[in-house]
Amino acid sequence: MPDVAAADFIVVGSGIIGSTVARRLVQSGASVIILEAGPRVTRAEIVARYRNSTRRSDWMSPYPPAPWAPHPIYQPVSNNYLLQSGPYPYEAEYIRQVGGTTWHWAAQAWRNVPNDFKIKSLYGVGVDWPFGYDELEPFYQEVEELMGVSGAPNTGSPRTKPFPMEPVAEPFAMRRIRERIASDYEVVTNTTARNSRTYDGRPACCGNNSCQPICPIDAQYHGGLAAHAAETAGAKLIPDANVYRLDHDEQGRISAALYYDPNKSSHRVTGKVFIIAANGIESPRLLLLSASDKFPRGLANSNDMVGRNLMDHPSTSLTFDADEDLWLGRGPQSPSSIGAMRDGPFRAEHAPYRLDFTNISRVDSATNALIAQGVYGDEFARRLRHSAARELNVKNVLEVLPDPINRITLSDQKDAMGIPKPETHYSIADYTRRGHERSQQDFRRIAELMGGSNLRFSKEGSYANNQHICGTLSMGNDPNSSVCDQWGRAHEHDNLYLAGTGVLPTCGTCNSTENGLAVALRTTHRILAEHKVGRMPASSRLG
Amino acid sequence: MNAMSFVVRASYAPVTAIVLVFATWTTASVSAAENPGAALIERGRYLAIAGDCIACHTGPGGKPMAGGLAVATPIGPIISTNITPSKMDGIGNYSLEDFSAALRRGIRADGQPLYPAMPYTSYAKVTDDDIKALYAYFMLGVEAVEHKPAKTELPFPFSIRLSMRVWDWLFLDTRPYSTDPARSAAWNRGAYLTLGLAHCGACHTPRNFLMAEQGSRLLGGADLGAWFAPNISSDHDSGVGAWSTVDLVHYMRDGHAGNIGQAAGPMADVVGNSLSNMQEEDLSAIAEFLKTAPAIHDSTDVRPAFAWGAASDALSTVRGVAVPVHRGQWSGARLYDAYCATCHQAQGQGSFDGGLPSLFHNTTLGRGNTSNLVMVILYGVHRKPDVNMPGFGSDLSDQEIATLGSYLMQQFGNPAGSVTVEQVNGARAGGPSGAWIVWVARLAIGIALLVLIGAALISLRRAALVKKSAG
Repeated sequence: MPDVAAADFIVVGSGIIGSTVARRLVQSGASVIILEAGPRVTRAEIVARYRNSTRRSDWMSPYPPAPWAPHPIYQPVSNNYLLQSGPYPYEAEYIRQVGGTTWHWAAQAWRNVPNDFKIKSLYGVGVDWPFGYDELEPFYQEVEELMGVSGAPNTGSPRTKPFPMEPVAEPFAMRRIRERIASDYEVVTNTTARNSRTYDGRPACCGNNSCQPICPIDAQYHGGLAAHAAETAGAKLIPDANVYRLDHDEQGRISAALYYDPNKSSHRVTGKVFIIAANGIESPRLLLLSASDKFPRGLANSNDMVGRNLMDHPSTSLTFDADEDLWLGRGPQSPSSIGAMRDGPFRAEHAPYRLDFTNISRVDSATNALIAQGVYGDEFARRLRHSAARELNVKNVLEVLPDPINRITLSDQKDAMGIPKPETHYSIADYTRRGHERSQQDFRRIAELMGGSNLRFSKEGSYANNQHICGTLSMGNDPNSSVCDQWGRAHEHDNLYLAGTGVLPTCGTCNSTENGLAVALRTTHRILAEHKVGRMPASSRLG
Repeated sequence: MNAMSFVVRASYAPVTAIVLVFATWTTASVSAAENPGAALIERGRYLAIAGDCIACHTGPGGKPMAGGLAVATPIGPIISTNITPSKMDGIGNYSLEDFSAALRRGIRADGQPLYPAMPYTSYAKVTDDDIKALYAYFMLGVEAVEHKPAKTELPFPFSIRLSMRVWDWLFLDTRPYSTDPARSAAWNRGAYLTLGLAHCGACHTPRNFLMAEQGSRLLGGADLGAWFAPNISSDHDSGVGAWSTVDLVHYMRDGHAGNIGQAAGPMADVVGNSLSNMQEEDLSAIAEFLKTAPAIHDSTDVRPAFAWGAASDALSTVRGVAVPVHRGQWSGARLYDAYCATCHQAQGQGSFDGGLPSLFHNTTLGRGNTSNLVMVILYGVHRKPDVNMPGFGSDLSDQEIATLGSYLMQQFGNPAGSVTVEQVNGARAGGPSGAWIVWVARLAIGIALLVLIGAALISLRRAALVKKSAG
C-alpha cells in the first residue's frame, strides 16, 4: 500500500468542525493531517455555478458531487446515495468538499438555552447531557469570536462576555414584523456568524441574500475559511482522500486511516490520535465500515449505538400575504425569530420550537408558482410584484427527541468506489407532531397581526428538513447507551475521538453547528491535555 | 554656544517659557481656551496631522511616533526614527532649533544629515510659527515612548550620509513659503499646505535621477513602488482640472468622491491618518490650489480619467454556458462574474448609493496606467473606518489578474490600458520589475558623483584655509 503518511493527529473531515479542531491541535505544536473525501473548490467556482444555475432555489445545484466521494442529491432527480428505509423520508443534504456543508448555511450560530442540557431531569423526556450550559459557555464564546458572531442579547442563552460585534442591520421587513406583532411576541435578531463590520479581514454583509447556497463575499463564516485557517496554521490537508476504513491494533487502538484517491488507489495514514469529524452520516458510516474480527459490528459499536438516535429539525410553515409591502430579500436570509417556545414546562408534553421568519426573496418561488399556474403577460407581472412585495413565511423549528429507532446504517448498495452507501431509517414522533400542532395557533396569530390573507399552511403531515444532522454518535456517561464519553472519546477506543453534530445528545431548537463546534473545542481541549505532544520533529514522535 | 545660536535661542525664549510653564500642567486637563500653552500644543497637533508624521514614524503595531517603520525606497529600507519626547530614544533633548533644523534642513541634532525619505524639502516651506507649534506638540502633547527602532543601514555608497549635504545643496530650497499677494488667502493657505506640511509632491511629483522632485513636473504623477500616484495638477484631462472643488474635498475628507475615485493603498492611509482629520476649509484651500497648479499634460490623455466607460452587458456572454472545469479557461467575463459582480454588479454599475463603486466613470480604470487597478485587485482597498474591498492576490493567478484586468479596462475603462502577466508579477514583487535595478544603478552613479563633489569642496576649503593660515 503506497504513500504512508503520518502525523500526531489525524482528522477525518475538513468541514467547519474538523478544520477548527485541526487548527487548534496544530497551534499546540503538534503535527496534523486532515483527510477530506471531496475536492478543493473555490468560492468563485461555486458563485459561477450558482449564477449559471437554472435552479436558484435548489441550494445543492452549485455543489455537484465528486464521483469518487458522492453526497446526496435530490434535484432534478435523486442520485440515490442516501437510501431510505423508514416510515418518513430523511432527505438530508450535505456537501463533501474541502470546507464541508457550511459553504451553504444561513450562518445561524445559536447557543442552546441552559435547560436544553437537562430535559430528562426537568421534563422527563429525552436525555440529559453529561455536562451543563455553564461548562460549555467558554467554548461557545471561543467559537463566536473565531467565526465573528453577533446577535440579540435576550435570546435565553446567558453570556459572560459580549458578542465580538454588533448585529447586522435589521432588514425593513423584519422591522415591520417586529413592530406589528410586538403585542404578542418578542422578535429577536438571530445569532449569526455574519459580519456587520470588517472582521478577521472579511467584509461586512452587503445583503446579497444568497447566504444559501453561497455567500459570494465571505461575509459569513464557513468551513472553507476554517480549512484555510487550519492549513495556514500548519495542518496538512489532503483532499480527494475518501477514508473507507480505520485499522486498529490488538488493544483496539486506532492505528491507521485508509483512504481511496479518485483512482481508487489505497493509501494508509498513521497517527497517534484519530478524530472523526465527517458529519452525522459519514462519521457513523465510517465506524460501521471499519468492522473487523475483533469488532464485528464496527468500531465503537459493541453496544449497537453507532448511527442511532438520529435527529434533525423538522419544520412546518405558513405562507401568507401581508397587508403592506415588505419586499423580502433585502439583507441576509435569516435575520429574525421568536424564541418564546424554545423552553417551558410544556416540553413534558410536546416539542419546543423556535419560530423563524424567512427573509429569502420571494421572486424565484413566486415566479415558479405563477408559471405552474399558467399565469402569463400583464397578470404575471402584477401578481409577481404583489407576491414579491407582500409574501411572508414563518416556520417552526421543532425539537426531535433521541430515539434509537431513528438511525443510519450501511446499505446493501455500493457507491462508485464500491463502498456501501449510507441508509437511513427515520420517523416523525408524536412528540414532534404535537409541537407542530401547538405552533399552528402562533402561525394564525402572527398572520392576523400582519393583516394576513391568502393563508397557505404547509401540507399536513409534511415536514421540511433543516439539514441539522444530530445524534448518531451520542455522547453520554453510560457506555451502554452512548457511543462516546463526555469528552468525545469512543468508549471502546482510547485514541479515537468523535467531533461533530453527531455527538450532541439532544438537538434542542437551534441550528446545530455552533453546538457541535463548541463541544468539539471542549473535546480538543481534553485531547491536548491527555495527549501531550512536544515540539519534536515528526519522525521522532512516531514509533 | 556661539553667538549665532545664542541669538536663535534668545528669539525663541518666549515659546520656551510657555512650554516650560505648561510642562507642569500636562497631567491636569486644561482646555486650550484657558491657556495659551494648550492652544499652541493643540495647533501643533493639528499641524502634525496635516504633516502626517504618524504615518512614517509609527512602526507596525507600535506606539504613535515611536518609529520603526521601514520605508521602502529604491536604495533600500529607511527606518523611521522615534520622534516622541523620550530623552533616551526620541527627540526629548532636541531644542527648538534642533527640531527646526531636522524638519526644515534635514539635519539631526548630532549634525548628521537625514535621508530625504523625510520630506524636509517640503517641510522647509513651514513657517517659524508653525514650527514652534509643532515643537510644543511634540515635546508636550506626545507620549514619550522608550523604544529604539532599528538603525537604517543602507548599502555603500548610500551609507555615506555626508553625500546628502551635497544633495541638499543641489535640491533643498530653504526659503519658507512666501505669500503670493495676487492670490486669495485661501489659495495661499492651500499652496502652503500642499507644498509644505502635506507634502503632496513627495508622492505625486516625479523625481529626477537623483530622487529629487522635478519642479518642472510639479504634482504631475509618479510611480510609487507598485502603485501610481496620479497627476493632480490642474490639467483638464491628465490631472484634476475637471474635478469640482467639492469632489476634491470629498475625496480628501471621505476617501472617495461619489463614484469617480476612491483612495486606496498609500493614499487610503493618507486620507485615514491625515486628510480626513483636517478642517474642511483647509481641504477646500488645498483643492483651490490644486485647481490652479500648473497643468502638466500627457498627450495620451484625451479626456478626464473619470469620463471613460459605460455600463456593460458582457456578462450575458457567459450565461447559459457551462462553467469551464479548468480555471485556466475562464474568460474575463467569467472571472468578473465570480469575483467582482457581486459588489460591482452585473453591468459594473456599483450600488445605487455609491457605497460599492461603479467601475465605469471611475478614475482607476480611466487611466492608461493600470498599476493601481492591479494593486487593488491584488490587495484590495482598505480605508478607515470601514471600507474593506478584499484583495484577490491569493485567489487569482497572475494570468487570471491579467485577463480580468484587461477585461475591466475594455468593458468599463480606458481601452488603451491593459494588464500583462509580467506587470502583475512585478506588482506582487513590489514594483515594476527591472525598474528598481535601473534606479539603483542610477543612484550609485549619482551618489558617487556627489561624493566627488563633496571631496572637491572639502579640498578647496582646505586649500583656502591653508592659504589663510599661510597668509
